[in-house]
Amino acid sequence: MHIFLTVTGALNEGFLQTLKLFVITLIGAVPLGLVVSFGSMSRFTPLRWLTRTVVWIIRGTPLMLQLIIIYYIPGRLLPENPWPSGEAGRFLASAVAFIINYACYFSEIYRGGIQGVPAGQQEAGMVLGMTRRQIFFKVTLLQMVKRIVPPMSNEIITLVKDTSIARIISYQEVIWAGYAFLKSSHGYAGLIWPLFFTGVYYLLFTGVLTLFFGWVERKLDYFR
Amino acid sequence: MEILDVRHIEKHFDDTPVLTDISFSLEEGQALSIIGSSGSGKTTLLRCLNFLERPDKGIIAVKGETLFDAADPKTQLEEEIRTKRLHFGLVFQNFNLFPQYTALQNVTLARELLAKEQGGESRESILAAGKDLLAQMGLSDRADHYPHQLSGGQQQRVAIARALALHPDILCFDEPTSALDPELTGEVLRVIRELAEHKTTMIIVTHEMAFARDVADQVIFMDGGVIVEQGNPKEVIDHPKEERTKQFLARYSEK
Repeated sequence: MHIFLTVTGALNEGFLQTLKLFVITLIGAVPLGLVVSFGSMSRFTPLRWLTRTVVWIIRGTPLMLQLIIIYYIPGRLLPENPWPSGEAGRFLASAVAFIINYACYFSEIYRGGIQGVPAGQQEAGMVLGMTRRQIFFKVTLLQMVKRIVPPMSNEIITLVKDTSIARIISYQEVIWAGYAFLKSSHGYAGLIWPLFFTGVYYLLFTGVLTLFFGWVERKLDYFR
Repeated sequence: MEILDVRHIEKHFDDTPVLTDISFSLEEGQALSIIGSSGSGKTTLLRCLNFLERPDKGIIAVKGETLFDAADPKTQLEEEIRTKRLHFGLVFQNFNLFPQYTALQNVTLARELLAKEQGGESRESILAAGKDLLAQMGLSDRADHYPHQLSGGQQQRVAIARALALHPDILCFDEPTSALDPELTGEVLRVIRELAEHKTTMIIVTHEMAFARDVADQVIFMDGGVIVEQGNPKEVIDHPKEERTKQFLARYSEK
């Protein structure tokens, strides 16, 4: 029993780190993705191509590689390492890498959502004398949100599990905490079950998210 | 009184001419039907009047005021185009109702936004006016329904009420019954007929020849982006002079 409490205590701590990275990524990437999607739809061709190239590079290379580059390269190029030392620096670097990466994925989902709203909706708003702003906020936005809920929930559930990639720079998330018991942690060594037990944390959390997104979908089910 | 004057409108899409030298005028309280085969430029003409397309040449004037002059950039400022659109209403072929709003909200939304911007009208009076319009369309019991809960004919009547809510000088219809099942066209045509009886100034692009003849004071036949023939319905539909008009109408009577 004592082992179990010790292990869950350590895993809870790790999962808190997982949650921190998850939440900060959403806070950053949800709005940044909108900016990126506007860039990729811009009528100004150089901006459109630049944005699409960045999205291609970010989506075309492993997040793990991006994380390693963002964490280790600045310290080698700059006279002083921009990342604070210890866990704070690892968190910050992870947040930056995850936000950029997920903003690019979200931007493509947004673009699909925006372009999926029929042009007639915008035209109907225009002939009724609405401003572009009013058309976006009063007409298009909710229809776009409805369209992007299923792909966004998919992407966000992937993000929950992707946070474990931050372990590559020793960010002390839940897998890191579980793996520690295999080597040596809290006076135990050679324990493999804590690592497997981390799966329960992921399952529970993605379960909650699945319920939440199902609820959102039902909330938006009143129109088609 | 002359309410609309359209002079020498031209429109190209890339190198393809869609409208060539379109000129006509419309008296207040009159209904104008525009007939012609698909691709003749009818819809583009309506879209030009509603500033969804910019003509390359020509002038559009309402009540003597030049709203648009292709030669005068001052008449094309984005800000002003928005308010100029309010002279016209447009009912789309496929309704384009806002799916997330009820029938009543569809009718009142734009007016509420305008009232918020310019002050004046209270929310209550806008709602009352919206309910009146839906009643006029025979849809009082559908006010709280969402578009997907309505039949095509009902949706199109909501769309007509929505266009009327802003009191346009000229109400335009772009093939208002083309997207409807045949048994639903009657209820929409009936509403438009009532509007004509109440002297609503209207431009109606339609494939319903009998309806065009009955409801219109003036008919324009378009082909290949030009006006081939215009006049009162008896002249154009019953006794066409031009060979192209005759051929077009003959194809319709065969159906």
